[in-house]
Amino acid sequence: MSAGPLERTAPAPASTARLVRRELHSSRAVPSVVVAVLLIAGCLLLLFEAVLKAVGDEPFLLDVEAAAVWLGTLPSGVPASLLGAASSLLLVVGGLLLLLAVLPGRRARYTIPNGRTAVVVDAEVVASSLARRARVAAGVAPEQVLVTVGRSTVMVQVRPTSGVPVDAEAVRAAVADDLRRSSVEPGPRIAVVIAESGVIGQ
Amino acid sequence: MNTTPRLLNRLVLGVVGLVLLALGAAGLALLAVPAVAAWWRTAAPRAGEAVDGLRTRTTLEGQADTWLWIALAAALVFLIVMLVVWIAAQGRGRTGLFAPGGTSGALRPRGEDGNGAAAGSVTITAAAAEQALKAALLERSDLAGASVSTWQVRGVPGLRVRVYPRKGVPPYVVAVEVSRLVEALDAVTGSRPPVLVSIGSGTRVRFTRPERVD
Repeated sequence: MSAGPLERTAPAPASTARLVRRELHSSRAVPSVVVAVLLIAGCLLLLFEAVLKAVGDEPFLLDVEAAAVWLGTLPSGVPASLLGAASSLLLVVGGLLLLLAVLPGRRARYTIPNGRTAVVVDAEVVASSLARRARVAAGVAPEQVLVTVGRSTVMVQVRPTSGVPVDAEAVRAAVADDLRRSSVEPGPRIAVVIAESGVIGQ
Repeated sequence: MNTTPRLLNRLVLGVVGLVLLALGAAGLALLAVPAVAAWWRTAAPRAGEAVDGLRTRTTLEGQADTWLWIALAAALVFLIVMLVVWIAAQGRGRTGLFAPGGTSGALRPRGEDGNGAAAGSVTITAAAAEQALKAALLERSDLAGASVSTWQVRGVPGLRVRVYPRKGVPPYVVAVEVSRLVEALDAVTGSRPPVLVSIGSGTRVRFTRPERVD
């Protein structure tokens, strides 16, 4: 439907792919801001002490020289439990920051191919749509279906109404059809679990 | 779609994490490994003497203390400025222009002769495009909410459309419908910006009733 002149300025697929990739991964903005604020606080304190030293005033909160001396005598100047706990805390925080830096940080999102736009969908929306299809296929109330969408699997749990059997294959087919129509990438595996016991009065 | 420096974020987080890991490991080693504690007992005074020597050598005539304090303060000021710049760089990239008038890629109104060489240019602000698209989106009953913003994507303005469908609405239907509206906007404005459609689920959606009519 688009006219000829419009086609020339179509966005390159590479730029769309980049948009989608950035949308599917965390930008690490929040931990960055937290780390930056903490570093700024530490730097401000050191700056203040350095300026006081430079003009020859008394230290304000932290005596830099005393701190250095304390650091030199370290294993003895402080209770072992406190030193151990503080070191462990540093290890844990450092490990977490390193993991934040190294791990891909995938968000629970999928992409749907589209000719004009780049489309990303939260896993929750996919799950909600699948739950509706599964509910219709199983003929049960919304509360009796639980759909969990993971990175590579879709788990459909159905609690049938007592005395009314649920066709697991029909549910699977409905869910597979919905997934195929949205053609989310990467395509997940489907697991349908029908509960042994039914429920009454839903 | 923002220009958050993702690589820089990860680099700085990684470096800070490594430093903290090293400090923590050093503390534990001092506590648990006698050899390390013995080494530190001899190394620390030597480091202290080295620092003292440096301070006496850098203390100017008639001054009480070393000028290194001033240098340290200047370095810290520089570091603080860099950190503030780093914070400010997060989430930037919004733009107020949807289709800037002027030279390349701009919309040119057809002149009387129809050859497109008329003087003047048309500028479309981001608010115009955003409100047009948002109004069209909010007319739909299967969407609980929508927001549209304009961002600079690789030098050209691009739209970010965030829609919140009601519970149970198939995302592929929403994707197709929103893309159709975007193509209508293309036809109206005569430009074809990159568009990102983000289909999400917010707290508002969770508390609304599911759409019951297909």
